[in-house]
Amino acid sequence: MNLALDHAWLIPALPALASLLIHLAPPRAERWAGPLAVGAGTLAALLALLAALAVAGGATAAGSFRWAPAADGVIELGYRIDGLAAALIAMVAPVAAVIQLFAIGYMAHDPRRARFFGFTTLFTAAMLTAVIADHLLLLFIAWEVMGLCSYLLIGFWYERDGTGSRPAPRDAAIKAFLVTRVGDVLFLLGIALLWHETGSLHIGTAAGQLFAPETLARLAATPTPLGVSAATLAAALLFSGTIGKSAQFPLHIWLPDAMAGPTPVSALIHAATMVAAGVFLVARTYPIFVVSAMLPWVAAIGALTAVGAALVALVQTDLKRILAFSTISQLGFMVAALGIGAWGAAIFHLITHACFKALLFLGAGAIIHAMEQAVGHDGPTQDIQAMGGLRRHMPLTFATYLVGAAALAGVPPLAGFWSKDEIVAHALTHGAWGVAIALLAASLLTAAYLTRQIWLVFFGSFRGGATVPHDATGAMRAPLVLLALAAALVGGINLPWQHGLSDLIGAEAGAFHPGIAALATLVALAGAGLGWVLRGVAADADLAQPGARGVLALLAQGYRLDALYRHSFGAAVDVAMDLRRWIDRAIIGRAIALVGATTTLVGRLSAGADDILLQGGAELAGRGIDELGGEVRRSATGRIQDSLALVAVGVVLFAVAAVTLLRP
Amino acid sequence: MGVLAAAATPPWLTMVLLTPLVGALLAWAAAAARLDATLVRRGALAWSGIPVGIAIVLWATFDPQATGLQFVERVPWVDAIRVEYTVGVDGLSLPLVLLTAVLTPLALALAWREDDRAATHVALIMVLQAALFGCFLSLNFFFFFICWELSLIPAYLLIDGWGRDPARRRGAAQTFVIYTIVASLGLLLPFQLVYLATAHAGQPTLDLVELGRLGTGQPGMAGGNLQALVFAYLDAQGFSDSLGRFPLLYASLLFWAIFIALAVKLAIWPFHTWLPDAYAEAPVAGSIMLAGVMSKLGAYGMLRVALPLFPEAAQLAAPVIGALALCGVIVGALGALRHAMGDMKRMLAYTSINHMGYVGLAVAAAAAAPDTTSRALAIDGAVFQLVAHGLSTAALFVVIAWITRHTGSHDARAAAGLRSRAPRLAGAAGIAMFANLGLPGLAGFVGEFYIMRAVWANAPLLALGATIGLVITGLALLRWYGQVFHGSPRGPHHAGPELVEVLALAPVLAGLVAFGLYPAPILDLINRTALSLAAALAGGPPS
Repeated sequence: MNLALDHAWLIPALPALASLLIHLAPPRAERWAGPLAVGAGTLAALLALLAALAVAGGATAAGSFRWAPAADGVIELGYRIDGLAAALIAMVAPVAAVIQLFAIGYMAHDPRRARFFGFTTLFTAAMLTAVIADHLLLLFIAWEVMGLCSYLLIGFWYERDGTGSRPAPRDAAIKAFLVTRVGDVLFLLGIALLWHETGSLHIGTAAGQLFAPETLARLAATPTPLGVSAATLAAALLFSGTIGKSAQFPLHIWLPDAMAGPTPVSALIHAATMVAAGVFLVARTYPIFVVSAMLPWVAAIGALTAVGAALVALVQTDLKRILAFSTISQLGFMVAALGIGAWGAAIFHLITHACFKALLFLGAGAIIHAMEQAVGHDGPTQDIQAMGGLRRHMPLTFATYLVGAAALAGVPPLAGFWSKDEIVAHALTHGAWGVAIALLAASLLTAAYLTRQIWLVFFGSFRGGATVPHDATGAMRAPLVLLALAAALVGGINLPWQHGLSDLIGAEAGAFHPGIAALATLVALAGAGLGWVLRGVAADADLAQPGARGVLALLAQGYRLDALYRHSFGAAVDVAMDLRRWIDRAIIGRAIALVGATTTLVGRLSAGADDILLQGGAELAGRGIDELGGEVRRSATGRIQDSLALVAVGVVLFAVAAVTLLRP
Repeated sequence: MGVLAAAATPPWLTMVLLTPLVGALLAWAAAAARLDATLVRRGALAWSGIPVGIAIVLWATFDPQATGLQFVERVPWVDAIRVEYTVGVDGLSLPLVLLTAVLTPLALALAWREDDRAATHVALIMVLQAALFGCFLSLNFFFFFICWELSLIPAYLLIDGWGRDPARRRGAAQTFVIYTIVASLGLLLPFQLVYLATAHAGQPTLDLVELGRLGTGQPGMAGGNLQALVFAYLDAQGFSDSLGRFPLLYASLLFWAIFIALAVKLAIWPFHTWLPDAYAEAPVAGSIMLAGVMSKLGAYGMLRVALPLFPEAAQLAAPVIGALALCGVIVGALGALRHAMGDMKRMLAYTSINHMGYVGLAVAAAAAAPDTTSRALAIDGAVFQLVAHGLSTAALFVVIAWITRHTGSHDARAAAGLRSRAPRLAGAAGIAMFANLGLPGLAGFVGEFYIMRAVWANAPLLALGATIGLVITGLALLRWYGQVFHGSPRGPHHAGPELVEVLALAPVLAGLVAFGLYPAPILDLINRTALSLAAALAGGPPS
């Protein structure tokens, strides 16, 4: 057996342990928290890479423990490193380690950086746990811990207020947690359904496990009251979780606001963790999707999101907001790929995207860090209209950012070209014309918004004032170079003639079509031209103001979905709150008063304070007792005594009733 | 008087029952002897460690594989009407006994800050603890009912005497007590009838376990199940001439009377209106005992009494119970959202209504789910949820008490940015809050997960509706947390000592994390009982 595989549980355990140490440490942890996080992360990354190599060689590893009894069964949680898990840990652990290395420099002056690394390590541990989980419940637990970490990290600067169109971090954090929770509770229902219908939540194809052929057949054959099969309903509920976590339409609205967190967090959320988990969930539970009728819907939502978000990215003026919508769009590519059956291509794109999107966000972080020096913390640090000419002032950032953007745009032979091409080729060769056209359009737009962004940020001359920004130093440089190498080369894991990744995860290798590759390249070039034409569009920030009208304003405001939700769901909750209050007071309150009044009347007729107590409704009788209490108080009795008397009456009544009624 | 049942072990349950009573007497005696209040408080806190110790012994020596009751002690009392002192624990009651034992020291630690009539204050808390122990331990209706009513006296006095608003606390206390007393008639009268019916059949009993066996029609009982016995008795009395010969009708009437009595305690919609006032006005120790333990009595009674006595009527009633519980889930969530930016204790009161709504859903599932597995999971989930909610709510009451002391206001809007002032407390509050809103990895999730699974099997639409509550309660709690702890700090630079609170909370928070990550130690206690109860309810052979 393989040493790394035998100790595979260490891969999530190492960052988790680092998190625990940092959280339990005294305040002096500020100094060593970052190095500890990176050290644990690097060790985990090495283990993950070794484990992935071992799995590629044909080995697997698994282990579990008894978590809890469950009626006549038992829940056993554990891990299982198969091809898919191996591929993902080999991406997540290294990328997360590099991001945290960058963060040592980026967060160097933050007084709470120990907390920061405490949360990022937990975040990484949760993602790694989700990936290697052998049980849907464990996957869900890790999934939700990621939700917690995103809340903590997006709201990391919890004392800051919002400025202009930028929300306060604490509000963005709540938004992220709640919008994803909408998807998560449906995911939870999906788990409840699967457990109820199949009796197992174990991820695996063996008999009695979730993907056993007979289990899947039964799921597909079981009808539900909704008129669809249990498999379809389960797939729909699981996919709701993906829509929330992977920021797909219509639950994508949390991701653009999530940039309120420190930029390394954005890199973590957009690349290695969180949003990747949603795509991974569909990939992991793919056998259920295959026997369901959900895949066309998955493809449609992915394609719609890919185009819709790319359009929005075209007119944004915030450096990170452009990247955020870019992520949404690229996740749409992956989801659409899953929808059309290009399972392996989706995972391939997930891995390549993690590399170049982490690079782009860290590049953005370097730029923002430099802008803070140039224009001040409260200045337009993320506004691309205040930048310009950074090519000369920040050459390293420029070079690496260019590599990342080219990889994202699909310029051959960089990573994005291979993975995106595999998806588009699959769509074209399998007759998914709608998806193919949507994704080609999204590719065009991707090249366009990147060209516009790079033009405005790096070319021309600096528009932010007299002080010019300077390139990153120290711990922030190496991660940029490392990730640029990855963004350029990681496509090599799954070339048309050397499909290592497909073999590892057991997917069908994509065929290479020179014509399609040429078409995709032409589309990217056309997009770059379009972006150059559009570089001046949306130059005025007024488009993002609520009053602005027109198509561009609609795009700048993300189709006004936030306002739509506020005026529909938000208003409905407000009405429901008022309704609740009215029912409690006007109906339930009056009903009790009525009961009280009736019984008091009866009580008066039959006389005796005891009867009022016995039969009276709560409030009226209460008043009666109060009067009685007043009487007693006037005869100089203490408060406690008459209160005691009140309750004692009940006990006496009981005794009387017991003696009279129960006499044998 | 008879003799103690021959037992090799000490009478642990009687000891755990009597310890707090003795403690209360000692506290009063100390007050009478004019001892220093600090000494009394310290003594009471130390004394409350004894029940914790005994509870740990019970936990360690309880056999999770055995069905039936353990540590049973039986002393005949009034033989003529089959009144006995019978105590014992099983998977339903032991977790709640543990909860009571653990939360009382927390309440006493918070009573540390109460200087007004300190000795009486701590004595009442201990009397309340004894009464709650009595409810969970008694297996004879008579004794159960006495403890049930007895628990009202200290609760009433705590709210009335130490409540926060002198103008409103009396009203809140009276509403609470009278509401409960009136409702408890729904327990008393049906049990009288049940007793007469069993006497009519020649086997008079008030033993809850025996009645449960009778209700579920398990072997060894002559004359059919309880429903048949009740009908036979009413038939003999001539009731059926006027009301018709419908055994299920009479059973249903009795079931609903009992159910409502218990629903008031659990605050199932629409019997919840007493709760926000009572929780809001009670002193912090009272809120902890009320919200943490006392409201759990309602759910305990449903599982121990209402369902086993009349399983057929319960199954018939389950859709209505489920609908009411769902109303409670949503009403609680909406109420919490309204008060998230207002009265903090009221907000917490509404989240309790919300969470007890999930328990109500579980009760409905336990009564009516199509398969035994789902029913057992419902019971597992319900009891676990009671424990987890007790811990997290108590912790949040502690946090809110600290905030109120710091800002001098019950209103969340009076506080801001406390996380920079009191980071340890903010962290503790965060764990308690996320446990309360059911974050996986913390204890609040486990119960909800089992409940969702069971409710899905019983009625998927109810499960879907309950998710609304999960989201809105989350929003309410996060808004509250954001208001109080986040933003720029206001007010004095030093937030004041948080050490007492953080130390008192540490074991509770540790429990929330530990049992969230690894719930087996608690679920093992529950599961065997849940299975046999579920099998009995589903009419299958007892396992």
